[in-house]
Amino acid sequence: MVEEIKDANFSNSIKDSDTPVVVDFWASWCGPCKMLSPVIEEVSDELQGKAKFFKLNVDENPVTAAQFKIASIPTVMVFKDGSMVDKFVGFRPKDTIKDVLGKHI
Amino acid sequence: MDSRYDIAIVGSGPAGLSAAVNARVRNKNIILFGNAEFSEKLIKAPKIKNYLGLPDITGLQLKDKFENHIKSMNINITLERINEIYAMGEYFGLMVNQKMYEAKAIVLATGIEYTKPLRGEEELLGKGVGYCATCDAPLYKGKVVTIIGYNKEAEREANYVNELVKKVYYIPMYRDKPNLDDNIEIVEDKVLEIYGKERVEKVILENKQIDTDGVFVLKDSISPAQLVPGIAMESNHVKVDANMNTNIPGCFAAGDCVGRPYQYMKAVGQGQTAALNAVSYLDKQ
Ligand SMILES: Cc1cc2nc3c(=O)[nH]c(=O)nc-3n(C[C@H](O)[C@H](O)[C@H](O)COP(=O)(O)OP(=O)(O)OC[C@H]3O[C@@H](n4cnc5c(N)ncnc54)[C@H](O)[C@@H]3O)c2cc1C
Repeated sequence: MVEEIKDANFSNSIKDSDTPVVVDFWASWCGPCKMLSPVIEEVSDELQGKAKFFKLNVDENPVTAAQFKIASIPTVMVFKDGSMVDKFVGFRPKDTIKDVLGKHI
Repeated sequence: MDSRYDIAIVGSGPAGLSAAVNARVRNKNIILFGNAEFSEKLIKAPKIKNYLGLPDITGLQLKDKFENHIKSMNINITLERINEIYAMGEYFGLMVNQKMYEAKAIVLATGIEYTKPLRGEEELLGKGVGYCATCDAPLYKGKVVTIIGYNKEAEREANYVNELVKKVYYIPMYRDKPNLDDNIEIVEDKVLEIYGKERVEKVILENKQIDTDGVFVLKDSISPAQLVPGIAMESNHVKVDANMNTNIPGCFAAGDCVGRPYQYMKAVGQGQTAALNAVSYLDKQ
């Protein structure tokens, strides 16, 4: 499952986790984001318990988007112990996403 | 939205046409994307001496033969340029501007004519450099954006971006005078580098520098890595095995885009192999 995350609870959510945290930065006007979200949803189901999945709407949460200098969406970031350890920009197929996450799980 | 096709073939050169013919023989529901001229490289060839059975044919004559062949099989070319292909697992989504086509398998036959990346372009991709202005422009509200346009179509995107951001610079990479909204600044100069440490800071030209927050590079031809996010490349070719499989299940590639030699007969043979393997991929589903 992919949960919605906001500016207000962002830093707590990525810090207080014993598993890696994946955040999908998206917006409603972004076509590739719409394609990516069901794929991330599938990945989150397959990796249940091994990683936490969030999505953040960059229009509604400008503070976090600015903090991470989001210049292109979709951007997907992987956090461990509160800091970013990996990211990719743009759509990716499921297997590629699992390969990226596999390195951190 | 159209119904879901069995096979979408991207590219109307010899490789794509051969894939289309062979998939049609196997009764698959196909869609073939490309242009009315089929392929620049085909119509430009002065004399072709190595196409078996057709000695001394010109490129234009060979194009006519190809045209008669696909017409006789009721294969039409959909005159659209695919912007991006999403591997969704069950199917592929093919984007044309705001429209989406769906297919269960893909044959990439896009040829090779990718413009060389500018200095800094690849390093700063996603850090201020982007290829889809209409996608990312809203992220640059109140900021400065530079558009490097390789064709007239880029002008439309520039006008759109101009409505959203603080300032737009437009660098035409072609001769014609750009037709743009008044407050877009046209910079006719040679681009040397897109520069930035962590992210884009400026565009360095022969005679001046532009401070900018973002750069959109809008080209004619897209490299396969951009066209199909996640596809494995080997230098600037799509990586395939002997069955023309790419690393993405259901996605096949053929012709110049998979490597040398760049030749008609090789392209045609690979197009056939790709189509037949796409057919068996579908039959196994
Ligand atoms: C002047 C010249 C002479 C040549 N002479 C010979 C010769 O004598 N013998 C020989 O064997 N070879 C010759 N070649 C090489 C030959 O032309 C190529 O090897 C051959 O055309 C490759 O075919 P292809 O189908 O892979 O790609 P191409 O012929 O390049 O066709 C690709 C097509 O896909 C289209 N396309 C690309 N991206 C997209 C997209 N995203 N959406 C939709 N459509 C897209 C392109 O517009 C193009 O029409 C010659 C080439 C040139 C330029």
